[in-house]
Amino acid sequence: MTKEPKRNQPFGFGNPWLQLALSVLCVLVSELLLKRGATDIADPSSAWSWTGINGLASPLVWWAILLIIASFISWLYVLRYIPLTIAFPLSRVVDILVPLGCWIFLGEFISARRWIGIGLVVVGLALVAKPIARIEERL
Amino acid sequence: MTFLSLFFIVASLLSFVVAQLILKRAMVSTAQSGFRNLRFVSRVTLGITLMTISFFLTLGLLQRFDLSYLYPFQGLSVIIISLMAAVMLKEKLTLQLMIGALLISAGIVLVSLS
Repeated sequence: MTKEPKRNQPFGFGNPWLQLALSVLCVLVSELLLKRGATDIADPSSAWSWTGINGLASPLVWWAILLIIASFISWLYVLRYIPLTIAFPLSRVVDILVPLGCWIFLGEFISARRWIGIGLVVVGLALVAKPIARIEERL
Repeated sequence: MTFLSLFFIVASLLSFVVAQLILKRAMVSTAQSGFRNLRFVSRVTLGITLMTISFFLTLGLLQRFDLSYLYPFQGLSVIIISLMAAVMLKEKLTLQLMIGALLISAGIVLVSLS
């Protein structure tokens, strides 16, 4: 990934780019877990199923909730250091990682149009990520 | 799409965008004034409240529309947040960033259409 040019800034675990990657990773895994958990527990005959509350019976859903909280905390940390105009577009890498994850781990199908969309997002991400080197120098 | 559903789509999008701007402002302020002050706490609380509102509005919309119909509107958030961060937070928005944001949004729309 293009998002870890480590230079002067908090190092190691405190590196905001690392935290951004972690935040995205947490969202990705939580989405996959939610889908798995929801499928495991699915009971369309129950009226409660409309509220989604019965999803809480699945341990996978609880793991997903923990990951969502973790991603929010690291996102707040990211906001402390990285301009929103850069951090937010980069965080949307999750919009292509989720379909790719569904394809790889859940065996879902990706159409030609979807692949083109994924390609566009990758080009857009590259454009957003490119000025990072310059910004890093200013920090 | 009725006027009412458009209203709720815009409301959920706007509350999400404004939440991000407020959270960003809150976290930037910690560099000078730390975490233990009323301003920071009230901003974070407001940000989280707005995100919660956006979450439940989205849940309500999901009960009426397909995810693939609603998701392109989420894709717009990239453009809106970039623009509003430039205007309200005085962040630098280069042409390259703007084109990048446009491509990401277009890509998200395509991914969700198919």
